Amino acid sequence: MKRDPVVLIVIAIVISVMLVFGIQKARHNPTSAGGAKLLNQPAPDFALASLDGKTLKLSDYHGKAVLLNFWATWCEPCKIEMPWFVDLQRKYGPQGLQVLGVAMDDAPAKDIAGFSQKMGVNYPILIGKEEVGTQYGGVQYLPSTFYISRDGKIIERVFGLVSRSEIEANVQKALGAQVAAK
Amino acid sequence: MKRVNQGRLLSAAVFVLGVAGLAQDSPGNRRPSVTLQPTEVVSINRGHSGTVELNFRVPGGFHINSNMPHQEYLKKTELKLDAPTDIVVRKVTYPEGEDRTFPFAPDEKINVYSGDFTVTVLVRPLKTVLPTKYAVHGNLKYQACDNAACYPPRQLPVTFEVRVTKAASENKKKSPPQSPRAHG
Repeated sequence: MKRDPVVLIVIAIVISVMLVFGIQKARHNPTSAGGAKLLNQPAPDFALASLDGKTLKLSDYHGKAVLLNFWATWCEPCKIEMPWFVDLQRKYGPQGLQVLGVAMDDAPAKDIAGFSQKMGVNYPILIGKEEVGTQYGGVQYLPSTFYISRDGKIIERVFGLVSRSEIEANVQKALGAQVAAK
Repeated sequence: MKRVNQGRLLSAAVFVLGVAGLAQDSPGNRRPSVTLQPTEVVSINRGHSGTVELNFRVPGGFHINSNMPHQEYLKKTELKLDAPTDIVVRKVTYPEGEDRTFPFAPDEKINVYSGDFTVTVLVRPLKTVLPTKYAVHGNLKYQACDNAACYPPRQLPVTFEVRVTKAASENKKKSPPQSPRAHG
């Protein structure tokens, strides 16, 4: 049976293109390296100091959907997301969303506070620790965001900057199917 | 049949190249490690200054902040050197960065290094130092990003060698008188 080489080349190119999207998707997928064990598992609990001196635990928010965002003041892409998180906290807070920012920063707390204030952050910012990053599969790049369902399970993990609409879709997923987009 | 084989071969090549390219481009598979290119040993007369060029390379697809980023909260690239006592590091000169915009901040210019860049170090061995080879150690502190994510600050160990020599004028001073009449 004869096959046209051009057809074979086209098939190969199509497969390659599919792989491009597959790998791009892997970047945003909790099953990718470092996050495979966390998908659909209970989010590791932690206790971290907040900028206002309180100690907050993740388990304090059980029953809420949590957007857990690892960021740093030196991370430009993180800065783009922060106003979106502010909007989403405002929009979905009444429905049970809680955004938590974990600053993986070596800057003094007052600098982190100043930066957060400048960004108009309306959600708690916690001072991150290496071990918390390790609990979450090793936060190797920022931003890294985990979406935690009301029952405390990690349902999505995203590396790097993605679109606001993708973030919002994940928030809705974490909140549960009953939440309709406004 | 031959044509079919050629087609298979070609499609397999395209496939493999595609996968290889993707593996390279996937951020999770690569570490943005800046490297120091081999540095020649520079000879410098003691009591005089000489320059050492350190050539660094940022891997493709990444950038690091320059030594003078426009935004105060960004981590600048900085070379910290710990020279032997009698070798004075007088000045470290960084190249100008390139003002670039990125998909994550299209309205903001960020001053960065990407690809190859050279840092120049002005070194002056003291007059009293023994003429021999000296190693200067240090670290290049940098913080890298790609188009969508940033990586924690890192340090690249840096070492270069300086061969300290006697100045020609020193040799002249110590050479014995040439004319026998000088003793006459």
